Amino acid sequence: MSALPAGDPNATDHRPSTPDAHRPADGSLASRQAALVAALVAGGPPPPGFAPAPLAAARAALLRKRAGEVARHWPLLAAALGPSWPATFMAWAGDRPTGGGLRDGWDLARALQARRALPALGADELAVREATFRYDADEPPRRRRSPAVGRAGGAVAVQLAGRVRLIRPAR
Amino acid sequence: MTGPRGVGIGWRPEIAGFVAELPGLQFVEVIAEAVPTAGPPPDALVELRQRGVTVVPHGVRLSLGGAEPVEPARVAHLAAVAELLAAPLVSEHIAFVRAGGVEAGHLLPLPRTREAVDAVCANVARAQAELPVPIALEPIAALFDWPDDELDEAAFLSEILARTDALLLLDIANVHANARNRGTDPLALLDRLPLERVAYLHVAGGAEQGGFYHDTHTDPVPPPVLELLAELCARRRPPAVLLERDGHYPPAAELRAELDAVAAATGFPLVT
Repeated sequence: MSALPAGDPNATDHRPSTPDAHRPADGSLASRQAALVAALVAGGPPPPGFAPAPLAAARAALLRKRAGEVARHWPLLAAALGPSWPATFMAWAGDRPTGGGLRDGWDLARALQARRALPALGADELAVREATFRYDADEPPRRRRSPAVGRAGGAVAVQLAGRVRLIRPAR
Repeated sequence: MTGPRGVGIGWRPEIAGFVAELPGLQFVEVIAEAVPTAGPPPDALVELRQRGVTVVPHGVRLSLGGAEPVEPARVAHLAAVAELLAAPLVSEHIAFVRAGGVEAGHLLPLPRTREAVDAVCANVARAQAELPVPIALEPIAALFDWPDDELDEAAFLSEILARTDALLLLDIANVHANARNRGTDPLALLDRLPLERVAYLHVAGGAEQGGFYHDTHTDPVPPPVLELLAELCARRRPPAVLLERDGHYPPAAELRAELDAVAAATGFPLVT
């Protein structure tokens, strides 16, 4: 498949509020496309009739591409995880449809933090993001207009008038 | 507004400096969704336009092959980018990228059925009604096929082009990838496509992995793709060819060598 470059400013706006990926197929093109996308990115059952190996290759290719996009949005998180980055991302993302690279990385960083598995550099990056944007995991991140403190795993970032500083890095 | 000509390269922010220094460059492509339309375009693109370089907006998220009608806001954005850059045409894919409210995050192949042809043609018509310039349609590389194809690839593509009156953006690396992964003859496909409709070509790198050829855009262009490119140009050379590179950018000398190899395969002048 053709590679799909990153950089879509709208990419954060498409997370489904109520995925209907598992609805029964009625045989129409729309329902069959939905079932295929669900199988590829949302942990849905493989649609009947498709050869399993090519479908698995496509699923893996989608995840690899997504891991690369998230790494571009969260370079410190990806770098801190180093060789384990692709596996860490793919294990987390396998049955989660993308919300765009920024949100995917954000959700993963918070999930890692919740289980105390967020590396220090990733915590620094998350703290800076938390101070810069308001993000509740349901709606796309919005730039904060008032001063804010962002914390993650011991890292503390402060944002004043749009300027963000990491005042205490995580260790 | 000059159409694409010669050897071009996909403009990406990461290689903007490299692209700006290509002395013979006459043509680039830009990912349409990455261009903001609220303000002026990125300075680097403005400078290319001032040099007379043609900039073609290349959409990746219209989902023209989706069963649902194409989203008007996405078409409006593509149209606005075309106006902003005074583009002579735009391009998009024969593919779908979302369904049932879920983003696939990538270009997915359509079943080659009459129903899918109808869906694509309806969406292309909706887009054409709003676009200020012609659209070129790009067949994608697919790692899998649907189980109930009614048409082969040549018939599927020819029917869509005939019914929409769209131009063809032929990606020679995709032709290679599909033939390699399906075990078919790429030359047989080229012989049945309407080559006179090709607005320009794409060429890109890829890699073998897990028994499949992956059209990664992050690896060098392999020799069989360059050979296929030469074969195509021997049949009928389109006005332009564009190298796509989307990551793992090599040193400038390697990227220049790749552009030179594309020029050699096509007979176009060097741009480096």
